[in-house]
Amino acid sequence: MPELSTSIPLILATLACIAAMVLAVRRVRQLDELATTLWPIQAMLGLVTVLCLFAFVYRLTIVHKAWVPVQAHVDGLLLISLLLAPAILYTQSRPRLFGFSLFAMPLLALILAWGVCATLWTYRPFNLDSFTQAWTVFHLAVTYVGLLCCAMGAAGGAMYLFVQGRLKSKAGLGQVNPMASLETLETLILRAATLGFVLLTLSLISGLVMVTQSDHTSSLGKAWWSSPKVWLAAAAWIVYAVLINVRSFSTVRGRRAAWLAIAGLVLVLATYGAVEALDRTQQDDTSNVPHAVEAD
Amino acid sequence: MRLLMLGFNHRTAPLELREALAFDNERAAAALHELRQRYPASECALLSTCNRTEFYLARPIHDPPTIEHLRSFITQQTGADADAIHTASIHREQEEAATHLFRVSAGLDSMVLGEPQVLGQVKRAYELADGCGAVGPVLHRLFQGAITASKSVRRQTGIDQGRTSVSSVAVAFAKNIFDHFGDKTVLAIGAGEMIKASLASLRRENPKRLLLINRTQQRAIDLAKQLELTGTDHGGRAWDDMDSLLIEADIVVSCTGATEPIVTESRFKPLLKKRRGRPLFMLDLAVPRDLDPKIGSLRNVYLYNLDDLQQAVEATTSGRRELVNEAEALLRGHIDRCMGEIRHRDIGRLVKQLRQRLNDIAQEEQGRTAKKLASLNGQSTEQAVEDLIAQHNHRLVNKILHLPLSQLDRSDPDASMGFYAAALRRLFDLKDQPDMPMDEASSDT
Repeated sequence: MPELSTSIPLILATLACIAAMVLAVRRVRQLDELATTLWPIQAMLGLVTVLCLFAFVYRLTIVHKAWVPVQAHVDGLLLISLLLAPAILYTQSRPRLFGFSLFAMPLLALILAWGVCATLWTYRPFNLDSFTQAWTVFHLAVTYVGLLCCAMGAAGGAMYLFVQGRLKSKAGLGQVNPMASLETLETLILRAATLGFVLLTLSLISGLVMVTQSDHTSSLGKAWWSSPKVWLAAAAWIVYAVLINVRSFSTVRGRRAAWLAIAGLVLVLATYGAVEALDRTQQDDTSNVPHAVEAD
Repeated sequence: MRLLMLGFNHRTAPLELREALAFDNERAAAALHELRQRYPASECALLSTCNRTEFYLARPIHDPPTIEHLRSFITQQTGADADAIHTASIHREQEEAATHLFRVSAGLDSMVLGEPQVLGQVKRAYELADGCGAVGPVLHRLFQGAITASKSVRRQTGIDQGRTSVSSVAVAFAKNIFDHFGDKTVLAIGAGEMIKASLASLRRENPKRLLLINRTQQRAIDLAKQLELTGTDHGGRAWDDMDSLLIEADIVVSCTGATEPIVTESRFKPLLKKRRGRPLFMLDLAVPRDLDPKIGSLRNVYLYNLDDLQQAVEATTSGRRELVNEAEALLRGHIDRCMGEIRHRDIGRLVKQLRQRLNDIAQEEQGRTAKKLASLNGQSTEQAVEDLIAQHNHRLVNKILHLPLSQLDRSDPDASMGFYAAALRRLFDLKDQPDMPMDEASSDT
């Protein structure tokens, strides 16, 4: 059943985010009007934060009535949005990260729109049984926050490619307010990747514990190691393992690191896609299995 | 004398052409000597900087060289393509030529508005031409006037204060790549004014190491001392250390007088691997360029040259338009005074020449009349002497008026009748009398 009380704030937040994006583009293009065009973006992002907070608290206190914050996919997306929106708001006020919001806001809009879909059409609560509940909550939490880090890293990577392209083509030289430096963006990618790597590692470990120690039949089955989800997750983990050492590996520095950050996010999203596809197949094939664990 | 200027600058000519047209001191002196030999009645000076190559000439009004002569002279001297020279050159005459030099000296025509270096370059160009004996009274007055006016305008408007300097733009460029400079190594190649200014700006960002290299190492060491770059991390290094320094450097600023690239792609490419993918910001302030442009296409290398700086600087100078207007208004007074003096000097010479010519005619006629008087052999009557005087006067007037009146010859299609007629009326205070009416003429008879 559609969760309208969650959907409406999410729809409003998506619209506010799109409005903020438009304003941010205007701000970057009309650099001399910086002072007059900054506050509407901040107001819009503030509104997104408030709406996400409202929806998250509402779901926690009214819908779930439990301390477990992530009980459905929409909760995870809300959690990411709730963390990402203030993070973008913060970067707006940092001159050294000028322009970053332009690359992060489309991600936020995408996640919010995804959240709308997850409440209106594809709403499914996770099955948190008593044995794996703690592990699952931990697994889901670190996975979603890890996804947030990966998204930040990918946004940084996309911006790196954009800024580097402009520097190489010598476009926009002499801008009153230049975009974030390549070094800042590389640092951002590195930090996001490092945090993402740690969280993905925790996610993999907790996932491993869940599939190996649970006496219930997991969605992955006994041959969990041959699942595309596990392979994709391992591939993403390796990408981030390389990425966090990028300053030591000269061959993957610069553009290649930026592409790796984007590739990492794509792999993480592909892992999610594999999970969804796998779950649907499992549900179709074994609809009588009562406790299929909805992993991330 | 007629004043001419033929030149090329960062607005009219691309960097490649400016490189081909650049004259170092030796070549400039040779070019000035050659010009003086070809056109001995002319005065000439050559201003050659990173951003401009300009010839200034003062020649007798109807004598060569013309602008076309100058263009072909430059083509011969530089070997640059004649069509490119024709397309990229600008030329100015008389007051416009003077205005151009005054604007250049005041930094109003510079890439960086109000930059002070150009004044020194104008002074050196003047001194070089003077040293070659190529400067005469007109160019003396013009260059001295331009230098004086430039100082005055800078003082009164403060146009050289708060400007966007090349060095500050260089730092801004570097900030597109680096977040901070505390762990960065800056390498400066050269020891000239541009390097000094750039290092002064970069130093304010507190880089970890500031190193200088120059073919003459002592000059690099001296500049380091001048900039108070002390300690093991800073100072001059040997020219032979360039490759190892290029591996260590994060920022390279180069401005030497070399006529060929110092760092070529083939030299730099093997060093890239040893840099372990660290980004490198390179700024080539030299013309001709010191750093091979192909280096800019290598991975993690960001190479910029003077034309790129121009693009950046122009974006930031639009807000100083009022200051430019003020400076130009002040320059106008200086230019008018200078051109007034040059014209006055020309008129003085003209009057002297005219006097000489008339005296010569008078002397000649006096001699002829004296001979005729002597031939009378004491039989002179009052009437005969009067006739001689009348003939003398007639010949004198005819000879004096012959050339001016021949300009009024209606058969000459090139003659500017109206101009000469007006000039004669004005010079001899002749009234423009109407033709006598027919009836009035008939009543007199």
